[in-house]
Amino acid sequence: MAPDPDVLIVGAGPSGAVAAKRLAEDGFRVTVLEQGDWPDYSKARPERADFDITATRDWTWDPNARKSKADYPIDDSESDITALMWNGVGGGTIVYAAQWQRNMPSDFRVRTLDGVADDWPLTYEHLEPYYVRVERDFGISGVANDTAFPPGEGPPLPAVPLGRAGKKVARAHNQLGWHWWPAPNAIATRKYGNLNPCVQRGVCLKACKDHAKGTVDLTHWPVAQRHGVELITKATVRELTLGPSGLVTGAIYVDDEGAERHITAGVTILCANGIGTPRLLFLSGGDRHPGGLGNSSGLVGKRLMMHPFGTVVGLFEDDLESWQGPWGQWLHSLEFYETDTSRGFVRGAKWGLQPTGAPLSMTTSYPWGAENPIWGEHFHRDFARRFGRSAMWGIIAEDLPEEANRVVLGEGTDRHGIPGAKIVYRMSENSTRLMHFHEARAAESLQAAGAYETVIAPQIRATGWHLLGTAVMGEDPATSVVDGFGRSHDVANLFIFDGSTWPTSAGMNPTATIAALALRNTEALIESRRLQAVAA
Amino acid sequence: MTAPLLDADARARLAALADALIPAGDGMPSASEAGVAGEWLDAVIAAEPGFGPALAAVLADADVADPAGELRRIESTDPGGWGVLTTVVAGAYFLNPAIAERIGYPGRRAIPVDADPSPDWLEDGLLDSVKSRGTIYRPTP
Repeated sequence: MAPDPDVLIVGAGPSGAVAAKRLAEDGFRVTVLEQGDWPDYSKARPERADFDITATRDWTWDPNARKSKADYPIDDSESDITALMWNGVGGGTIVYAAQWQRNMPSDFRVRTLDGVADDWPLTYEHLEPYYVRVERDFGISGVANDTAFPPGEGPPLPAVPLGRAGKKVARAHNQLGWHWWPAPNAIATRKYGNLNPCVQRGVCLKACKDHAKGTVDLTHWPVAQRHGVELITKATVRELTLGPSGLVTGAIYVDDEGAERHITAGVTILCANGIGTPRLLFLSGGDRHPGGLGNSSGLVGKRLMMHPFGTVVGLFEDDLESWQGPWGQWLHSLEFYETDTSRGFVRGAKWGLQPTGAPLSMTTSYPWGAENPIWGEHFHRDFARRFGRSAMWGIIAEDLPEEANRVVLGEGTDRHGIPGAKIVYRMSENSTRLMHFHEARAAESLQAAGAYETVIAPQIRATGWHLLGTAVMGEDPATSVVDGFGRSHDVANLFIFDGSTWPTSAGMNPTATIAALALRNTEALIESRRLQAVAA
Repeated sequence: MTAPLLDADARARLAALADALIPAGDGMPSASEAGVAGEWLDAVIAAEPGFGPALAAVLADADVADPAGELRRIESTDPGGWGVLTTVVAGAYFLNPAIAERIGYPGRRAIPVDADPSPDWLEDGLLDSVKSRGTIYRPTP
């Protein structure tokens, strides 16, 4: 019988992968429980004409629609945004757009600079060396010394091409005096480790069968497993277990056949995302922690942030072949990212320029708007205007933490009878103003680039890719769940390394910072190994 | 492969609704002329069998004497059914290789990114212009 692991990790997404790989490199015995399975790339067939029909079924982001064996129900009846995730090895990286954005220095000092929310217990400068290292591990492409960030080492691979649309927008921004930069993406532009160079099929969001996208099933888990990490799939954690001293002793999980198993470990790390992690804390602790494990602050589950998402499309006379390309982003702009209170709101948003997709995407109400139906008399005219001749800005809007926006246990259950989650989320007035401002500027950007018409996409609910804030980090145990290295204030051998710990959401795609934080936290854990309390 | 839930009557109703969604024009055939209620419907349902019963449910209640009016009714009273109907009709239309050729869609080809040492973001001093404007971030206080 194998000895108990030193470390148990729950969740095989990006934070779990970074932690497991690094711990194993230093000789720790690591076991990982993942409720889903490895991605089945045989279902990723973008070369087939029917891919747009099958991908909606096989690679959907919404667990409530997907209803796979790995998913738990999420009641979103009281939420303006639907939570999206991929429950399997690789986690969200399997279906992310691979837009790889570091946070900016001001993102870590929101209270100091803008008088709202909270500062992070670390700075950009603390995290910068870890950004550099995870960018090497994930095979990031881009160009160093973006003027929106402090100078320093950039990603290891050259940026993806701007393409026809990107060049138009780049020239326009130069005329406007607005920032742009070749996009940072977790998309390989050359052969790099297990990654192949991108072939621009434009399907990053529906799994990359060409293995060009930096997904941790390719970049991390094979390395971690070579170093001895035990990755158990189809293992659904029911609860974390506690010993007499109050330390976490491991977890009870249910295997694929429905059998309950108990695994013990010295240290437990939750990497189950901003909904899964508070859900597990609420399911754990029993009578000793009636409000949920590690929740003496009362903040577990609260401060949920999901990034309201905006889209603005431009229609161009020229053929842009805009069903192909990295998707991903051709370029990004951070011109309006920093706070300017004269705009009537605080904080900002990042823009990423993207393709608009294959023929079927030209007929949907998103992003084209229900007020612009393509059907009927003008179908062929409108289709010809959209298809291949359009590009769009995706706008990631920072939402501020509010305790009323939260995760609680839901009434529904997963296939093992374990309660699911419920989210309560309302878009704030600040977010609404922010979004309207950015949509208007993004339309001006596309018009300057030559668009003869722009469309501001309707706000739709199914945009909650980024699940943040529900186990906030901080120095004070009264106002935070974990410390600046992810350690629970209440339980000395319980850690949280996923996006739950973010004090504020930034206006960036979060995987870069989730991965960098996970690496920093892991090395702090390794550094303090001799002082670390462990379950007997 | 045929879709057993969709008999000839159902397909006739689908053709009527589909032609109101995608009529002939601008040199392009209508949905039914392109086989949306025939061969390419079968192809869509072969790809996603779940569309069969969902579409059958929409068509079972459809009154196609006034296709445009019926479409308005479905859209306003049955959003789920509307989504299935429009996805199946457009999906079947674009699955027809003759249509794909007419619209200039070669499918998602593998186009390797250009690892050229002179990438397009270095053309015409594009980035020099950005650099000349200086940094735009607020440093850590």
